Amino acid sequence: MFALILPAVLVVAALLVGPMVLLARISLNQYSATQLMIEATTAQNYLNAVADPYYRGVMATTLVMAFTCTAVTLALGFPAAYRLARMESRWKSLVTVLTLIPLLVGNVVRAAGWLGLLGNDGLINATLRGLRITSEPLQLIYTPGAVAVGTIAVVLPYMILTLSSVIESIPRAVEEAAANLGASALTVFRRVVWPLALPGTVAGCVLVFILCMNTYATAVLLGGSQFKMMAPAVYDQFSKGMNWPFGAALAFILLAATLVLTVLGTALLGRRYAR
Amino acid sequence: MSVASLSPAAAPALAGPGLSVRLGRIAFLALVVLAYAIIFAPIVMVVVTSFFDQEIVSFPPDALTLRWYVNAWAQRDFARGFVTSLQIALAATAIGVPLGTAAALALVRARIPGRGLINTFLLAPLAVPAIVAGSALYMFYLRAEDWLDMDIKATFGGLVAANVLITIPWTVRLVTASLAGLDRAAEEAAANLGARPLTVFRRITLPMLRPGIVAAALFSFVASFENLELNLLLVGPGRTTLPVAMLSYLEFRMDPTLAAVATAQIVMVSILMLVTDRFVKLSRIV
Repeated sequence: MFALILPAVLVVAALLVGPMVLLARISLNQYSATQLMIEATTAQNYLNAVADPYYRGVMATTLVMAFTCTAVTLALGFPAAYRLARMESRWKSLVTVLTLIPLLVGNVVRAAGWLGLLGNDGLINATLRGLRITSEPLQLIYTPGAVAVGTIAVVLPYMILTLSSVIESIPRAVEEAAANLGASALTVFRRVVWPLALPGTVAGCVLVFILCMNTYATAVLLGGSQFKMMAPAVYDQFSKGMNWPFGAALAFILLAATLVLTVLGTALLGRRYAR
Repeated sequence: MSVASLSPAAAPALAGPGLSVRLGRIAFLALVVLAYAIIFAPIVMVVVTSFFDQEIVSFPPDALTLRWYVNAWAQRDFARGFVTSLQIALAATAIGVPLGTAAALALVRARIPGRGLINTFLLAPLAVPAIVAGSALYMFYLRAEDWLDMDIKATFGGLVAANVLITIPWTVRLVTASLAGLDRAAEEAAANLGARPLTVFRRITLPMLRPGIVAAALFSFVASFENLELNLLLVGPGRTTLPVAMLSYLEFRMDPTLAAVATAQIVMVSILMLVTDRFVKLSRIV
């Protein structure tokens, strides 16, 4: 039986673990303008990244964006997930596939759509102009708001699908019992649905938060040249800056920040759930 | 005896919902509609603009046309990107699905210590941010090129290897999910009736696995085809995937040609997902 598992494990070890270890090693090297990289064991790249106000700003932008998008996605996703979970089976299957398809068409395709909607000649500005509400186009594209909307559109299906599978497992009878005993719809939600769905909510938020922290295409295409998030910053170091050690350090800072925050978040919310 | 007389709280409900209840329902529905509007707005937008006649997207359109689809195929970057992505995704699927299926089968059926751990390990490529994994692979390829004195980055093999990191975890996930619902009685019956292990596998296990494998293959193909971040640093001049070609085009402009390429991708993905759903209910695996 091990013979069946081994090939897949070896491939993942060779193509993921090995390269990650190498990247970790490279992050401890020194950058040189002439030789690109000098073997060393120094934490300087990490210290530089933390000390540099520019990268502190990039990290802050990334964190604010990730927290905002996760919160909005939860608020928007919960009702949709509830509706999907309580659907009749014939429609449910179709709506599930419809929710899943956008996930798989790629972020670049969706960013193209937002460019058409939010651009200066896009649908929204053209409509406002047509209705004579504005004469000058509103600057909608290349703003943090555009990135936020684009990111939310990307992660919403994940949230809806994760939440709906948990809400589905809450028996309808529990809600009906609460309602029959006189609870209002809001009370049923607050006292019954929300506590029972909390593990799924935590899972959904963690997944969405990770995706938001690592936004690439949406940030690059909708944010404009002044807007920078961590994933594009990592890419720039490798493709343009050629400062591999620093890029590697940025990659691990991004990875560590994501990991620590998700573990903290899960622990905090999980404790509330246990009570 | 009416229900209302049993439960006084239900009485207002019989008189029709109160104002606050109705407002609550409207707000709830509005949120549901808003969520799906945000999900579908960019996709509908892309499809619509691909039919606009004028070269610079503006509203309203002068006329509608199909010529951008012809133009898109005539653009060498897109045509080549499409073919490259297709080849890579097919090869990565052909390698990853057998490996992933074998692992999933053993993980579900065998009593191996640390099964959960191995399962997590095989799904790890989906958990590591693609841009980080892509940077790591990029460094790894450059280092390996030095050692082996051969090209790896921007070669077909190098890109396929990277994409196997996408197809293996998805296969493990889908095949595991489809196996979880099957019981072993048929296999045991065949063995009791004297079938050898290989015969049991060929005649019983494999046919039961088929829907899971088909779903895994289609899903892996799509996930690899549309991947941007993992491949971003691994492509090179002359060998670029479609999403990377679209990204570099979009950094300069958004026009109906790109919308046509995007629409073709949306149609392809939609068809493949609807087919996948026939084999394994997608609501069960995501």
